[in-house]
Amino acid sequence: MSLLTVSNIETLYFDRIYALRGVSIEVREGTIFTVLGPNGAGKTTLLKTIAGLIKDQPKKGTIEFDGRRIERWSAERVAALGIVYVPEDRGLFRELTVAENLELGLWGRRDNSIARDLEAVFRMFPVLRERSRQQAESLSGGEQQMLSIGRAMLRRPRLLMLDEPSHGLTPQIATMVYDALATISMTGSTILLVEQNARLALRVAHEGIILEAGRVVLQGTAQEIGQNDDVRDLYLGVGEPGTSATGWRLYRKRRRW
Amino acid sequence: MDRVASYKEDLRLVRKWPEKLLAGILFLALCLLPQFGSDYAIYIVTLISTYAIGVLGQNLLIGFSGQVSFGQAGFLGIGAFTLAHLTRAGVVFPLALLAAGAMAALFGLLVGFPALRLKGPYLAVATLGFGIAVYQVLANWDTLSGGRMGLAIPPLAWNGLSKRLLMYYLNVGLAVLFTLATYNLVSSYVGRAFIAIRDSDIAAEVMGINLTRYKLLAFAVSSFYTGVQGGLLAQLLGHLEPQMFTLAETITLIVGVVVGGLARVEGSLFGAAFVILVPQVFASSRELVPVVYGAAILLVIIFEPHGFAGRWMKFRLYFSHWPFR
Amino acid sequence: MEWLLQYLLAGLSAGSTYALVALGLVLVYQSSRVLNFAHGDVAAFATFIAYTALSARLPFGVAFGLAVMFSAALATTFYLGILIPAQRRDATHLGQVIMTLGLGLILQGGAAFFWGTEPQPFRSPLSDTRIVKIGPVAMTELGLGTLGTALCCSLLLYGFVQRTRVGRAMRATSENLIAAQTLGIPTRQLVALSWAVGAALGAVAGAFLAPALFLDPYFMIDPFLKGFAAAILGGLNSLPGAIVGGLILGIAESLSGAYIAIQFKNTLAFVIIILVLLVRPEGLLGHEFKERV
Repeated sequence: MSLLTVSNIETLYFDRIYALRGVSIEVREGTIFTVLGPNGAGKTTLLKTIAGLIKDQPKKGTIEFDGRRIERWSAERVAALGIVYVPEDRGLFRELTVAENLELGLWGRRDNSIARDLEAVFRMFPVLRERSRQQAESLSGGEQQMLSIGRAMLRRPRLLMLDEPSHGLTPQIATMVYDALATISMTGSTILLVEQNARLALRVAHEGIILEAGRVVLQGTAQEIGQNDDVRDLYLGVGEPGTSATGWRLYRKRRRW
Repeated sequence: MDRVASYKEDLRLVRKWPEKLLAGILFLALCLLPQFGSDYAIYIVTLISTYAIGVLGQNLLIGFSGQVSFGQAGFLGIGAFTLAHLTRAGVVFPLALLAAGAMAALFGLLVGFPALRLKGPYLAVATLGFGIAVYQVLANWDTLSGGRMGLAIPPLAWNGLSKRLLMYYLNVGLAVLFTLATYNLVSSYVGRAFIAIRDSDIAAEVMGINLTRYKLLAFAVSSFYTGVQGGLLAQLLGHLEPQMFTLAETITLIVGVVVGGLARVEGSLFGAAFVILVPQVFASSRELVPVVYGAAILLVIIFEPHGFAGRWMKFRLYFSHWPFR
Repeated sequence: MEWLLQYLLAGLSAGSTYALVALGLVLVYQSSRVLNFAHGDVAAFATFIAYTALSARLPFGVAFGLAVMFSAALATTFYLGILIPAQRRDATHLGQVIMTLGLGLILQGGAAFFWGTEPQPFRSPLSDTRIVKIGPVAMTELGLGTLGTALCCSLLLYGFVQRTRVGRAMRATSENLIAAQTLGIPTRQLVALSWAVGAALGAVAGAFLAPALFLDPYFMIDPFLKGFAAAILGGLNSLPGAIVGGLILGIAESLSGAYIAIQFKNTLAFVIIILVLLVRPEGLLGHEFKERV
C-alpha cells in the first residue's frame, strides 16, 4: 500500500530554471525510501516541493498522500497531515532551549501519550535530557541532529522526510543517527531519506532512486541499487579499481540509463 | 524586462520608433509650452522639473543602491540655504547652484559614513536623525535661516527674459540634463556597482567592488541631486523658511520614487509629476493628499512593483510587435 | 542632587512612553521583519476613536478599550489583507516597509479629514497638572500613571512571550519561519497576533501621550520617531532592548534638555543614537538575524 505517490512532477525556480523534470516515486507505508544523487540533482527540491515550501510548485504533476492530492498545498496544511520535514540545516530554533524545541514539536497534539513519547525520545537520545535547559545553539552538530529528529518524532509523523541527516557528522554519530532512524521506522513511521552518503542510506533503506539533473536515472530496491555496477563505482567506490578515477566522462559514456 | 539584443543597444537611450516619437512629442511640447501654455501650466511644469531632479537623486539611492535615506529633507534644506546665502552675498547663480549641490554632497559623504556599517532600519534611523538635526539647527539658528521672517532670495534676471520663463527654461533644461546624466550613470560601471551592492553587498564585495567607495559615492551623488533641487526650489519660491524642510518633504520624494518605479530613471519623471499634480488636483481638500499618496503606494507595490515605468514598459512591449500577438 | 533626581524621574516617565512605542515596533519587526512606519499613525487614529467615544460621554475605560481593540483590528487587517497578498506577489522587503509608510499616510490624511487638524484637548482621568510627591521628588499624576502602565505592559508582554506556549511559538516563528511551518505551527496567525499586540501597545501609548500633547493627526509622529530611535538603540530585535533603549533615550533627553540646551533636545537624542550605532551597529542588546549570501 503506497503512502506517498509522486508522479511526474516538474518544479521550476523563477519560472524558468528546471530543478525537477518529471520525477515519479512511490513510497510504501512503513518503509524507508532513499533518494540518492550528486549535488544539484534536485534531491532537496523534491523534499521541499512535497513539503509545500516552494511557492506554486510543482508546476506539473501530482503528489498524492494517503489518497489525497496535496500538490501546491501550503506548508502548514501539509504538516497537518502528519508529514514532517527535517531540513538539512536541522531547522532548530537556536535561541530556544532544548526543552522548548521539543515542546514546539508537540504543537497541536492533545492526546494523553505525550509523556510516553517524550520519554521515548529521551531514551533514544539520552543526551537531550541532560541538556534540556540549554539553548539549542550551544549543542554540538550531532546533538542538534538528534534534537531535530527527536522533535520530529514527537509529531508522530506518518511520513518523516529527512534531508541529509548525516551531513557534517562524524561517522560514529552518523551511524548512531541512522540506527535511530531504523528504530523509528520500526515504530510505524514511513521515512523518505535524502542522502549523499549512499553507503549509509542503502544500509537502512528498503527502496530508493538515484536522481541526476532533475531526472530519475535508476530505481529499485536498496539491494538492486547497491549492486548496480555504476553505483558501486561512483557512489560506493567499491567497483573495479581505477574506473571511478577516470571520472564522469567515462561514466557518461558507459552508463546504461 | 526590456528586451535588449546587445550591449550597444543597452546603452542606447531611445531604442525603438514609438519611443523616438514620444520623446520627440515631449520635447516639442516642452518647447511650445512657453508660447501657448498658461502661466499656471508653466509654473507647474517648472515645479515638476525641479522635483524630478530630487526624485532622481532619491531613486539612485533607494532604487539603485538599495540604501534608505529618511534625511533627504536635510539635504534639500542645506542646498536651499547654501544657495540663498551665496546669492545674497552676490555670487552668480550658476556658481551658487553648483555650491548648493556640492555642499549637500559633502554632508551626504558625512551621512554616508554610518551607512558603511548600518543597514535597513538602522540606516533609516541614522539618516532620519540627520534630517531632524538639520531642521532643528535651521529652526534655532536665526542668522542662518533668517529667523521668523525667513530668507528672501534676490530674483534672477538674464537677457530681459521674464522671471517665469527664465525659471522654466532653467529648471526644464537642468531636469533634462540630470535625466541624461542619470541614464549614463546607471549604465556605467558605477551604476552596475550600485545595483550589485543593492542585491547583495557581500557578493559585490567579493567580486571586487569597493564597498566603501561606492556606498559613499551613492550618498554623495544622491545628495548632490537633492542639493541642486533645494537650490532651484529656493530660487523658484524666492523665500525660505525652515518649516519647508520637514519629514513630509522626505516622504514626498519617497512617494515619487515608489510611484514612478524603483530603479527606473524615466519613472522618476512620472513620480515627480505625480507628487506635484496630486496636491494641485486636491487643492480644495488638502487633507486627502496623503491618503492619495498612501493608496497609490499600496496599489503600486501590490499590483505594479515597477511603478508607472513598469506599466509603460509592458505597454511598449505589447506594441513592439503589434498587431502580431 | 534633588534636581538631578527630578530630571531622572521625568526622563524615566517620558522614556516609558518611548519604550511602549518601541515594544510595539520590535514585536512586529521580530515576527515579520517589517519595520512598521504606520505604527504612530495607527496609534493616533485609535486615540481619535477614543476621543470620539469620550465625546459621546462614554466612560474613559470603555473609550480606552475601544481604541486598543480598534488599533489591533486595524493592524491585523493590514497584515492579512494587504501585506500577505503583496508577499504572495513577491513584494520586496523594502516594498513591504514602504507599504507601511503608505498605510501611515492614509491614516494621517484620514484623521485630518474626519477630525480636522486643530489640536483638541484629550480628557483623561489622570491629570497632568496635579502633582504627586514621592519623597524628595514630585511627579504629575499622568507621568506616574504612564510609568506604571508601561511597566505593567512590559512585564505582561515579557511573561506572555517567555512563559506561554503561544509566546514561545511566536519566538520560534520569528527565528525560523520555515521550521515553524513544517512543525504545523500556525505561523500566519501568530504573526497577525503580534501585529495586533504591537498596535495595541501603540494605542496604549497614544492614550497616555494625548492628554499632555493635545490631539491632532500628527501628534504621534514625534513619539513614533523617538520610539523608533529607542528600538534601534536597544537593538531592533530585542524586546528588553526596546525597554532599555526607551528609558535611556528618555533620560538622555531629559538630562541634555536640563544641562545642555533645551532647543536641541531632539537632536541630541539622535546624535547619541548615531554614536551608539557607530560602535554597535545592531543596537545595545540586539543581534540581527544572520544574512545568507
